[in-house]
Amino acid sequence: MSPSALDELIDALRCLPGVGPKSAQRMAYHLLQRDQRGAGRLARAMGQALEVLRHCERCNNFAETDVCVRCADPQRDATQLCVVEMPADLAMMEQTHAYRGLYYVLMGRLSPLDGIGPRELRLDKLIARAGDGLVREVILATNFTNEGEATAHTIAELLGARGLQVSRLSRGVPVGGELEHTDTGTIAQALVERRTL
Amino acid sequence: MSPKQRIEQQPSFVLHTYPWRETSLIAEIFSRDHGRVALVAKGARRPQSPLRGVLMAFQPLLVDWSGGGEVKTLVRAEWQGGQPLLGGRALLCGYYLNELLVRLSAREDAHPVLFAAYADALREFARGDALAPVLRRFELALLNELGYGAGLDVEADSGEAVRPAQDYLYIIERGPLPLATHAAADAEQPVISGRSLLAMAAGDFSAAETLAQSKTLLRAIINHYLGGQPLQSRRVLKELQEL
Repeated sequence: MSPSALDELIDALRCLPGVGPKSAQRMAYHLLQRDQRGAGRLARAMGQALEVLRHCERCNNFAETDVCVRCADPQRDATQLCVVEMPADLAMMEQTHAYRGLYYVLMGRLSPLDGIGPRELRLDKLIARAGDGLVREVILATNFTNEGEATAHTIAELLGARGLQVSRLSRGVPVGGELEHTDTGTIAQALVERRTL
Repeated sequence: MSPKQRIEQQPSFVLHTYPWRETSLIAEIFSRDHGRVALVAKGARRPQSPLRGVLMAFQPLLVDWSGGGEVKTLVRAEWQGGQPLLGGRALLCGYYLNELLVRLSAREDAHPVLFAAYADALREFARGDALAPVLRRFELALLNELGYGAGLDVEADSGEAVRPAQDYLYIIERGPLPLATHAAADAEQPVISGRSLLAMAAGDFSAAETLAQSKTLLRAIINHYLGGQPLQSRRVLKELQEL
């Protein structure tokens, strides 16, 4: 192995989030010296993922086929569409076993100060997806950060104007939560958004 | 390098945060007595970090920090409360205010009057007030406080008081000139009625004409000081209208 190949590997590893020159060097030495099999597997998996993975035409999540398995499943309720920011959020929603509808993954959130707007998020794709004639309700499950709220508001405006029913996950004290141990911001917001019983 | 300092219980708002290293954040804050300051919030991106729900924009905080460099270290941030989170259009307008502060104010320039104007604007947004007058009042306060404010109620060359029935051409950095004596308006030199100028100077945005004309005028002045670099938050709002 020539030093230039080593340099190239160290440099390539730096594209990972949170990996600086020192960590990249450590990773490279580890892979080459201690775990060559692991390195081979990583290289193959990376190559294969890049080759076969694409965005599902319907939910925008990563898929190996044009339409992913979940979107093609006839058992799922095609009248509900849940919008999440990232694939990890979709996985979390699935773990609830409380939702049988379909999803749309934005792969990000609106963040005006970072220059991420409707165009960068490809909201036109979501509008087209939600307007397939089958979707009756769009459930916005973006995060409860300012960016997530801005994203939800924007989508609600865009889809509401097209006659779709749009709802948002509710927010408040966690299940099993005791007020004494809940942060004040959450309680204050739960008070603002209280509901009549 | 400014001298090493330790600031405690400083009323502040987060303007923007961005990730730093694996688990930390850099928070750009707007504080009452120290203006815009960049703070490293160590570990703030860890799932269990108590800072996660606290370092949110548009919420009144009390912040402690220390350090002497350009980027200081956040020691503590406490939610002050009393204000519901922004939602809807008001939230997008909030981003606009934050972008103006990030782009136009210098780091560590104290602007207590502007801080109060910002806090007022957010309170009015949260209360559900009409957005446009709140935006115009803040823009005006920003320009005045940063030293960009030209006179609104005095004519540029003559120094005479602006007359309500007269139309004016607004020359940036000089002020209003009676229209009859000058060439036609363009984006850089909008036309505005004397009535609107006087209303703006008095902070009164109740008339539709004042609202419309002050929007054009303030936008032209702000664009001038932004130096041709467009505002992202404005672009986002524009793109939304196009969808």
